[in-house]
Amino acid sequence: MNLSQISKNTKVMIKTITAQSLLKKRLYSLGLGSGKEVEITEISLQKNTIKIALGFSSIALRMEEAKMIEVEAIV
Amino acid sequence: MKKLTIALVGQPNVGKSHLANALSGSNLKIGNFAGVTVEKALATFSKEGFSIEMIDLPGLYSLDDFSADEKVTKDFLLQENYDLILNVIDSTNLERNLSLSTQLMELGKKMVIALNMDDEAQKEGIDIDTEYMSKLLNVPCIKVSSKTKFNMSALLKSILHVSSSTLESPKLFFSDIIEEELQKITTFLNEKHFNHPMLSNRNIALGLLWQRKHIYALMHEFPLFVELQPLLNHALGYVYMYAQTEDIEDVISKEHSAFAKGITMDVMHLKTQKIKNLTQSIDALLIHKLLGLPIFVFLMWGLFQLTFTLGELPMNWIEAGFGWLGESVGAGIDNEILKSLIVDGMIAGVGGVIMFLPNIMILFLGISLLETTGYMSRVAFLLDGFFHKFGLHGKSFIPLVTGFGCSVPAYMAARTLKNKKDRLLTMFIIGFMSCGARLPVYVLFAGAFFDEDMAGNILFIIYISGALLGLIAGKILRITAFKGEDEPFVMEMPKYRLPSLKLIWFAVYSKSMMYIKKAGTFILLASMLIWFISSYPKNTLIEESYTAHIKTLQDDASKSTMENEMREKLMEKTYLGMMGKTIEPFFAPLGFDWKMSVATISGLAAKEVIVSTLGVLYSLGSEVSEDDSSLRDTIAKSISLPAAVSFIVFVMIYLPCIAATVVFAKEAESLKYTFYLVLFTFATAWALSFLAFHVAGYFYLT
Repeated sequence: MNLSQISKNTKVMIKTITAQSLLKKRLYSLGLGSGKEVEITEISLQKNTIKIALGFSSIALRMEEAKMIEVEAIV
Repeated sequence: MKKLTIALVGQPNVGKSHLANALSGSNLKIGNFAGVTVEKALATFSKEGFSIEMIDLPGLYSLDDFSADEKVTKDFLLQENYDLILNVIDSTNLERNLSLSTQLMELGKKMVIALNMDDEAQKEGIDIDTEYMSKLLNVPCIKVSSKTKFNMSALLKSILHVSSSTLESPKLFFSDIIEEELQKITTFLNEKHFNHPMLSNRNIALGLLWQRKHIYALMHEFPLFVELQPLLNHALGYVYMYAQTEDIEDVISKEHSAFAKGITMDVMHLKTQKIKNLTQSIDALLIHKLLGLPIFVFLMWGLFQLTFTLGELPMNWIEAGFGWLGESVGAGIDNEILKSLIVDGMIAGVGGVIMFLPNIMILFLGISLLETTGYMSRVAFLLDGFFHKFGLHGKSFIPLVTGFGCSVPAYMAARTLKNKKDRLLTMFIIGFMSCGARLPVYVLFAGAFFDEDMAGNILFIIYISGALLGLIAGKILRITAFKGEDEPFVMEMPKYRLPSLKLIWFAVYSKSMMYIKKAGTFILLASMLIWFISSYPKNTLIEESYTAHIKTLQDDASKSTMENEMREKLMEKTYLGMMGKTIEPFFAPLGFDWKMSVATISGLAAKEVIVSTLGVLYSLGSEVSEDDSSLRDTIAKSISLPAAVSFIVFVMIYLPCIAATVVFAKEAESLKYTFYLVLFTFATAWALSFLAFHVAGYFYLT
């Protein structure tokens, strides 16, 4: 399952990121990466954009980018 | 005195500019546009026999060339001469900030780390052991707070200490397999007695293993490179096998984040469990699904209301002040020509522009608040879905809002967009965001044709419709000229922070001074020029025949009508009148008279010149001594409402000004696109003004 399928206020862990090189590097440098815990804190009205909380920071993503982030539930 | 150049580097929103300000005290000379640092900004001051120059580089998340402004910083770090990197870190977000520090440490430069926002970290129960951290990284790490000015002298002392001692290589640790391969390459270089004046052998080994182009370029020149190659091949093979990837960048990212994570775990301790912080609660409201956008529109509306109502009072004083100045100066001058030059040319022209200073100040106050509080990225989040439909990017919002201030920094702010086509498209749209210099024109016309309580709304409508037109133009350009792939939308949402009053004041003050300076120099010259070409050549023939005719008239009413007619006729025979008459046919379908046509053209120099031109033209052509001499009343009397609407539409759309166009050409790196921009804006302005004139005319008559 990927990040775009997660409902609001659920914590998940990132498994892999499958974006093209430059975008992947950007996601890494923003602190996203395998093993990181993230939580969707806001979804825009038309479900185009999401805001995720990650450690001490928040990041905005489009659904297209969220689809590239494979996640798994935290047990 | 020894000169010291310090490069301030850090991720966005860590308070670099604020720290530069706090460090340099009152000697700050930042030339950039506040909030969004787009140009390299300088701060110079001296301390203990050093003349220190700080270069505030645009914030960046990593040295990966993601966007054009990040490239500015990376190119500077790799190519320019500087003595020391001052890496500014947000203490409340240590791990992520450290991943950039790791990349900086690999550059092999002298470095000091400032852990900024210590006051905030304390409040959030974050405790960082800087002594241990300095030892682990072999880089001095100092807790500071630019807000409370905590530890500024300690930071400065450390900077001076590091820069006057020899370079100590920072300590970077990687996973065992990488360390092993690094050791092999380093040993080889040591055995060959290879010595580089700036870089240690371990640094070179690291650069080679990471496949950094500049290190390859450097090593390529040496004969030992031939022997080095098989060694490298071997090493890379191992690393790839171990990491199970063929992409070295993947390996680097993983190593860096592991290092940052390790250091963070070693030095940072959370005293209290994090409770829901203030930012989250504010966000719950400000980016709320349903409420977010209405709140934003309301705030914008409030800003324009404030711009008009709050600006109205000082505006009246300034207007009255210049009126008084004109009269009293005029009374003291006997020479008619000189009097006309000073009163009708210089004072009317400059006064007409200075009058709008309060409005300009309020507008810039609003924009810098938007930029510095962190609200800007929320709006980008809110608008991305909407913008995306029009072929724009959520991040386009930042240059577009800057465009409400001035197009010049807005074109530069477009650098935050990664994709060239997105950048160009955004730059084409920036002109639709009415810049501060157009505000005087709008305020003048809104005030002339509408009641005071409506004028603020009119102003808001003008700005909003400009922005909406921009979006439509964006869509059209997107499906015609700038077809292309979508840029990903990935953006940090920084914490909400109360901006530093000093920085806000600095932004408003420097913008206001620029405005006054422009009025005192450029606008003054333009006013004099326009006065001259609208006063000469003198036509004595008309003057004589009218004067003779007026003498024969009995009642005062017809006398003054004849006098006004004479002034009109005289003006039409001047250079400007002739020029205006020549271009009038082009603007006539839009309802412009020749004076408005001339003002439109002179507005190309700067939009404020439109107001000063109208000021000069209408004050020459009317009775200055009468009570209704204010420009607003004159305009309300001599221009019809449909023509005024059409004029505003034209001003709203056509080219910002020559200076902005030059910057556009520089940023777009293309003459072709600059030519398109000129053509595009004029054609659109003409067509829409034509439409507006006829639509307004239809409603006006019925």
